[in-house]
Amino acid sequence: MAVRTLCSWCPDWPVVAARRVGRAPSAVPVAVVERGRVAAVSIEARAAGVRIGNRRREAEAEAPEIVVLDRDPAEEAREFEPVARAIETITPRVVLERPGVLSFPTRGPSRYHGGDGGLFERVRETVDATGVSALRVGIADGAFAARLAARRNVMVPAGETPTFLAPWPVDALGDEALADLLVRLGLRTLGAFAGLPAASVLARMGREGLTAHRLARGEDAHPPALTTPPPDFEERAELDPPAERVDAAAFVAKGLADRLLERLAARGLACTQVVVEAETKYGESLSRAWRHDGALTPGALTERVRWQLDGWLTATGGLSGGLTRLSLIPDQVIPASGRQLGFWGGDAAASDRAEQVFARIQGLLGPEHVVTAVPQGGRTPAERIRWVPWGEPREPSPHAPIGPIAGPVSVEVPPWPGTIPGPAPARVLEPAAAATLLDAVGQPVVVSARGDLSARPAELRCAALPGGRGVVTAWAGPWAHDVRWWDRASRARRVTWQLVVDETLACLVNVERGVASVTAVYD
Amino acid sequence: MVQIPVQPVRASPRRDDAARARLAAVGAARAPVVLARDRALALTGPMAAVLPSVQRGSVVAVGGALGTGATSAVLSIAAAATAAGEWAALVDGMGTLGGLAAAEAGVDLARFAVVRDVPRDRWATVVANLLEGVTVVVAELPPTVRIGDARRLVARARERAAVLVTCAPDARAWPAEAAVRIQARGGGWSGLGAGDGGLELRAPVVEISGRGIPGRVRLELAG
Repeated sequence: MAVRTLCSWCPDWPVVAARRVGRAPSAVPVAVVERGRVAAVSIEARAAGVRIGNRRREAEAEAPEIVVLDRDPAEEAREFEPVARAIETITPRVVLERPGVLSFPTRGPSRYHGGDGGLFERVRETVDATGVSALRVGIADGAFAARLAARRNVMVPAGETPTFLAPWPVDALGDEALADLLVRLGLRTLGAFAGLPAASVLARMGREGLTAHRLARGEDAHPPALTTPPPDFEERAELDPPAERVDAAAFVAKGLADRLLERLAARGLACTQVVVEAETKYGESLSRAWRHDGALTPGALTERVRWQLDGWLTATGGLSGGLTRLSLIPDQVIPASGRQLGFWGGDAAASDRAEQVFARIQGLLGPEHVVTAVPQGGRTPAERIRWVPWGEPREPSPHAPIGPIAGPVSVEVPPWPGTIPGPAPARVLEPAAAATLLDAVGQPVVVSARGDLSARPAELRCAALPGGRGVVTAWAGPWAHDVRWWDRASRARRVTWQLVVDETLACLVNVERGVASVTAVYD
Repeated sequence: MVQIPVQPVRASPRRDDAARARLAAVGAARAPVVLARDRALALTGPMAAVLPSVQRGSVVAVGGALGTGATSAVLSIAAAATAAGEWAALVDGMGTLGGLAAAEAGVDLARFAVVRDVPRDRWATVVANLLEGVTVVVAELPPTVRIGDARRLVARARERAAVLVTCAPDARAWPAEAAVRIQARGGGWSGLGAGDGGLELRAPVVEISGRGIPGRVRLELAG
């Protein structure tokens, strides 16, 4: 059973925060951009058609009078701090997810305020008193459902969370790739997704899919068997001289975050919620919990600590003095199910490096110059490989079967009729090199419609081969193929030989419409 | 005579595991020792009989005309990288590499990129870039390689602990130093008769010379 949670959410917090500090005017369209993309928009801008994820240019095209601001996470954290402090008067267990979203378990406060309804009203009043009128509140079972409830500003009765979640579109899971897949599978709502058996979801979509499935069913993202971390996992640092500035404290926090996660990882644990504690030089003690949907990475943890420090050190009604002690305490840990490595395994850092290098060369020469081979079905060596520009999906073409291929990527499939037998040639000439195949008396070798030879091949002439010509010492074939017999324009009859020339050079020779060519060389 | 008991001098208390671990870490940081076997990529397949492993940071110059087995030789070195979970790339001068042969040589195609149609004046830049992030870079040489470019690539490979495998009709075409030079000389094929059978095995002859290899070795391989 998921933990009953109250979530308080302010839509478009970056815009609201900017307006609160007077960086953005009210009653005109405002967009906050991050790395060239719109990250948040005001109601006016949304009405004008500006959407999150638009480019700056697109936003300006939709609403010419729009005010575009750069995102400032520090400002967002600072402005949200008063809200967090106000909620802290109701419960000490406030957990921030990011500036603009906070949640807490309702069990204790709900009983104190006479049920969820009383708590709901109390939180609304408290929030309105801070002056952030756009803030919405929702109560449901589990943090995910509470967040959706906050969007509607409703209180979902206990036990009715699955019913509440069912009609939401799968986009609400916040995983674009997964949502796309589910929609293509015909599962458009969370209810439809939740109806699948969990074992099948795990088999088809892996661990991430299973987590999403738990959310869709109205359960917590992680199984409730959360391990309580041993107390010695606290990471603390004494700051001497006291840190007055955010960057000084954040620098220390980064080291703490790295060490904490490293120690947890050594025990096979990952952290989903962390408490940031600080003490000022006059003994004032501060503490705030931050939660993350997945396991916190060092970068994400440092970012959250930084936001919190911003809130404490620079918010209005700040601290009595600089910080003298900073500590990070893991509050909830889960068994680390492993980092998400590349699909084929391997070291993620090495993979990143290689990807960067290939991307750089694609930038230098053009995307089609860096390719990767994808096996597919076919008869000739050239047909059995598809070259795909690096970075594009490697999935085989939809009409696979793929021929049985040796090596680490072997694929089990039915045989492809008419495949050239034997080892694959290491050099495939595309286009094929023009050649002449002669019999013992110097006449070109021809093959009848029934596949009968006019004479045994005796000599091969081809400019692409070393020496230019050679005596055929052994051969196999010809194998006759009807190529694209269904297409009147491009159909052809083709025969293929495996030839050994001068006892050392092995190659594949085609004869098509009476013209011979060398298509591949075994090298 | 009075016997003075001599206490054995110990680097750190035997039971203090934490202290010993710290000391070991200090030692590693001061004088990084990487064993030769950690710096080697182990080859598999028929080439392993000739060349059991390739040192990271070194250059292997492979030579052989079309059809002599040089491509199979370079593919087996690329396969050593992907088998170790690392990446390989091949600069394909002629644009004729057979992808299926790469898979059969043991190359994991998902970690193997082929760079095609490289303009001659960009060749050194492309290979130098590849050495930045790829463990084994197989580069087919353009007709002429400037000695300065070649030396820079040798230094880059050593610095990035990558293996540069050059491929040309003649192994001596690589103008700079190479730890190993392999010249493929071709060989007979078996399994094919007069109009029957199919290609099966070959016995390519390989000449190999280099550091740690006494003189010139001429080997016949099966497969």
